[in-house]
Amino acid sequence: MIAKQIEIRSNIKKYFDLAYEGDAVIVPRKENKNVVIISEEEYSRLNEIARLSAYSDVAQGRGTDMSRSSDVVSSSVKADNLKKLDAIARLKDDWNGNGAKAFEKSFISRIQKLIDQLQIQPEIFPTALQTIQLEFDNSRRDHMEIEIGDDKTAEIFVVLYNGEEYFDHVAVTANALNRKVAQFYE
Amino acid sequence: MNDTFAGDEKLYRAVFPPDIAQMYWRKDGTVSSAAFADPKGLSVDRGNYKNDREVLTDMSTRFIGSILRIYVKNCVDIGCLIRYLPSGKNPYHSEIHGSDRAVLLSKQQRYYLSKKAIILS
Repeated sequence: MIAKQIEIRSNIKKYFDLAYEGDAVIVPRKENKNVVIISEEEYSRLNEIARLSAYSDVAQGRGTDMSRSSDVVSSSVKADNLKKLDAIARLKDDWNGNGAKAFEKSFISRIQKLIDQLQIQPEIFPTALQTIQLEFDNSRRDHMEIEIGDDKTAEIFVVLYNGEEYFDHVAVTANALNRKVAQFYE
Repeated sequence: MNDTFAGDEKLYRAVFPPDIAQMYWRKDGTVSSAAFADPKGLSVDRGNYKNDREVLTDMSTRFIGSILRIYVKNCVDIGCLIRYLPSGKNPYHSEIHGSDRAVLLSKQQRYYLSKKAIILS
C-alpha cells in the first residue's frame, strides 16, 4: 500500500494499525527518499531472514554475494553495533555505579574490527567485567553468548530451545568466530 | 527488615549506565544477561512488600534510569545468595551473590535472571 505523508499525518493510527496487521505502508518522498512502515514482528522476521541468508552465504562461500535486501539489513545492524561500541568506549570509570572501570580504547578498537568482519551480526552488550558480550539467537530459539575479554580465546555459553546448556570456547579471530556462528545457525 | 528473605519478596535492580539504559535492552524487548554481571556483587533494593509504584518513586530519588524487578524465589531457585546490606543512604540495599563462596553470578544464573526480570521503567 502507498500512502502520502499528509494522509499518514492525519490518520496515523489507521496506518500504524495496518502495518501492525501485516501491511507494508510505503511513503513516497522527494528525491526517492521513500520509507516503509512495517510492524515490529515483520521487522524481526526480515532480520531473521537476513541472518539466515548471511549464514547460507557463509556456508556456500558467497560471503560478498548477499542479496541486496539482506545486505542492507545486515549493514544497518553492523552500523548500529559499531555505533554502540563507540558509546561503550565513552563510558567513564564507575559507569555501572559500582566501580566498573572504563574500557580501554585499544580493546574497543579490536572488538570493532571483529564486528566489522562478522558475517552474521550479534547483539552486543558491555559487562562490568570489562568484557563485551555478543548474543545470537537462531530460528530454533537457541541462544548463544560469546564473552570476549583480553584473552586470545572467548567463552561460549549456549542455551538450546529445550533448556539444555553447554559451554565451549573459540579463538578470538574473525574466521573462528564466523565458523562458530555459522555452526550455530545450521 | 531483617536479613532473611522470603521467596515472594521482590527485588529491584537499577540498570546502569543511567543515561543509556538501552545499552542492555535486546531487540526482543528483554534485558541482556550482561546486565547481571558484577564482580563486586549485584546491587538491588529489596521491596519489603511495598508496591512497585512506591518502590519506583523511592528509587528515583537515588537512581536515574531503568528499573528491573525479580523475585527472591528466582534467585534462590538457581542457588544465588541474597545479602541484606543496608547503608546510611539506602536502607533497602542488598546484593545478590552467585553463592556463599562466589560473588559473581555464573553465566547460567545471569541468563536465568535475565529471563525472569520484568522491566518496570
